[in-house]
Amino acid sequence: MSNGGWLKTLLLFVLVFAVQSTAGEWLQILGIGPDFVVIFVVSVALRFGAATGCLWGFLAGFTQDVYAPVEWLGANSIAMTIVGFAVGQLEEHFLTLYVPAKIGVLALAFFVNDLFYFLITGLDKDVVTNLFLTKTVPECLYTLIIGGILFYLSSGKKSNV
Amino acid sequence: MLRAFRFIVDLFTQRHGVVAFAFFLVLGILMHEASTEVRESVVDKALSTVFYPVQLLISSVNDFKSLQAENDHLKAENARLRQETYHASEGLQELARLHTLVRFDDKWDFPIVTSRVVGHNPGRFLTTLVINRGTHHGVKENMPVMSMNGLVGKISKAMLTHSRVQLLVDPNLKLSVLERRTRVVGFLESVDGHLLSAMIPSHAGVAEGDTLITSGLGGIFPKGIPVGTVHKVRKADLDVMSLMDVEPFQEFSTLEEVFVMQKEPDWIIQELLNE
Repeated sequence: MSNGGWLKTLLLFVLVFAVQSTAGEWLQILGIGPDFVVIFVVSVALRFGAATGCLWGFLAGFTQDVYAPVEWLGANSIAMTIVGFAVGQLEEHFLTLYVPAKIGVLALAFFVNDLFYFLITGLDKDVVTNLFLTKTVPECLYTLIIGGILFYLSSGKKSNV
Repeated sequence: MLRAFRFIVDLFTQRHGVVAFAFFLVLGILMHEASTEVRESVVDKALSTVFYPVQLLISSVNDFKSLQAENDHLKAENARLRQETYHASEGLQELARLHTLVRFDDKWDFPIVTSRVVGHNPGRFLTTLVINRGTHHGVKENMPVMSMNGLVGKISKAMLTHSRVQLLVDPNLKLSVLERRTRVVGFLESVDGHLLSAMIPSHAGVAEGDTLITSGLGGIFPKGIPVGTVHKVRKADLDVMSLMDVEPFQEFSTLEEVFVMQKEPDWIIQELLNE
C-alpha cells in the first residue's frame, strides 16, 4: 500500500464512521439498518490483502469498542480482525472476485463477525439466538443490498478506467 | 523513521498477513482480559485524544447544515409553546396551591445542564453516547440524563470537557421502575444491549400499554421520570414475576441534545459507590 493509499483509506475510514452515525440511522427500517463498517473492512481486505485487512479491521472494531460497554472491550476488535484476515486470505487465493462472489464474501464476513462478537461477549444462548434472528439476519440482508450496490458501482468505475 | 516504518510493514505482511493477524488478535485478547481499571483507562484515553475531537468536528459540520431546518422547527415549536404556556401557568398556580396543602417535597428541583450529543457507537449496538459537557460544566458521574421525552441513562464517566453517557440499553445499567397505573415496583434492564425488559410481580396485573416511570429507589434517579411503555408481557422463569418488553419513550440513536440533571446520588448510594 502506498502512502497515498494509506491516506485515502484513512479518509474513507473517517467517512464510513460519519456515514454510519448519520445515514445509517436515516436508512433504518423498523430498527434494522445496514452496517457500513463491515462493508468497509471487507472492501479494504479484498483490495489490499490479509495484513491490511487485519489492521483496518482491528481499528474499525476498536472504534466500535470505545462506545460499547467497557466489559466488552476487545470483542469488536477481535471479531473485525478475524473478518479482515479471513477476507484478505480469500483475496490472496482468488485474485479476481466478481460482484456476486464479493457479495457472498460480505455475507460470510457479516455472520463471522456477529458469531465471534456474540461468542466473546459471553451472552446467554437464548439471547444470542434471539439477536441472531431479529438483528443479524435482517441486517445482513440489508447490508448485502447496500454492499452489492457499492461493489457494483466501484467495479463499473474500475472497468471504465 | 521511514525505514523503521517500512520494516514494520514488511514484518507484518510476512506469511500472508499471519504475523499481523496474530499481533492484532493478541492485542484484542489483552484488552478483553484486562482489569476494569485498565479497560476504563484505554477507553478514556482513546476518547479524549482521538475520537472526541474527530466526532466533535464531524458533528459541528452536521450541526451547521441542520441549522436552517432547526430554526424553522424552533419557530413552529415556539408558536405552539406560547399557547401551551398560557394553559401551563394556570395549572402551575393550582399545583403550587396543592403543594402547600400537602407539604410536597419537590424532588425535581435540580439544576439542568443542556448538552449536545457529539458521538455515539458507530456499530449496531448503541449503548454509549458522548456529550460535550464535563466536570468543567458541573457534570459528575452517576447524574441522571434525560431528553424531552424521557429517561436516557446516566453519566458513566465525566471528563473535563466531555462525558460518557451509559444508556438504558447498556446491560450494566439496571434501575428500579414503578408502573404508573398499578403503582407496583419492578426493575428494568437490557440483557442483550438492544432491547429493554422489566421484571414486575405478576399479581399486579400490569398490561401492554402501561407506563413505567423511575421509582426513586436506588438513589440515583429521582422518582417520576418517564421511562417507557410495556410493549409485550411474557412469562418469566418464576411464576410470581412477569417479564415485559419495554419500548423506551426515547429513540436513542436519534438523540441530538440531552439534559443532565445535576442530582448526585443519595449519600448511602454514594458511600456504596465509593466502596
